[in-house]
Amino acid sequence: MGRRNVRDRRPQRAKTVRHAAGESGSFRCAGCRLEVPLAAPGTSHRNHCPNCLASLHVDRRIPGDRAADCRGRMVALSLSSRPDGEWMLIHRCVRCGELGSNRVAGDDNPRALVRLAVRPLAAASDAVARRVLLRL
Amino acid sequence: MSTTDSPYEPSPTLRTSTFTCLRCGLSVSALAPGGERRDHCPSCLTSRHVVDQVRGGRSDCGGRMVPVSVAVVRDGAWMLVHRCTLCDELAGSSVSRDDNHLVLMRIAVRPLADPPFPLDLFGEV
Repeated sequence: MGRRNVRDRRPQRAKTVRHAAGESGSFRCAGCRLEVPLAAPGTSHRNHCPNCLASLHVDRRIPGDRAADCRGRMVALSLSSRPDGEWMLIHRCVRCGELGSNRVAGDDNPRALVRLAVRPLAAASDAVARRVLLRL
Repeated sequence: MSTTDSPYEPSPTLRTSTFTCLRCGLSVSALAPGGERRDHCPSCLTSRHVVDQVRGGRSDCGGRMVPVSVAVVRDGAWMLVHRCTLCDELAGSSVSRDDNHLVLMRIAVRPLADPPFPLDLFGEV
């Protein structure tokens, strides 16, 4: 718990995302069609729906470059944890299979996040997963 | 289970080739026990950035890739997600049977061990 209150917090990347003209500070979720405002508590780089955690494949290598012409839906695949305890959401595009990561926002659905976090432990159909769970 | 139950016989080059882990220096056989090609060290799960995930094909980066998370694909199998320490690119690779169970489990439970919000709230709802 103490690791999150470190004095020198990791600085956020400067915001360079260019949103399309005519967009009025919100986007429509590709998964559940929820209208999501761009302003989010805890992060200034919201790219996924707080309800279903789905995102859209618009960026290639640099966040905000809008260089990908895939435009596929990106579903939340797993969670990873930074050394300072922050959760990163890992998305995978359902069209081209590319991976991307984004920090979780303060208003993300905690039930969906925890369901994602316990998913590796609940998967008992895989041979490797079952053996790991049985041995430890 | 032996390697002979795979649908194809691995080529002699794949059967004898090895690579050295970038992190722990272990000499690893390129052939996994399941008969497929291995792309990460079974001891520390570190990989090397040789495949360009965005364009496809070879990558010139060659950086060390550290395992960041364990994902579950649709059929319930585990998948390991790597992140390159040089260029921050992400890549997914399948888990092989002789991968280090302790390290795998550590990566899988790491988000739950230090959650950003108190998890005991879920006992009440």
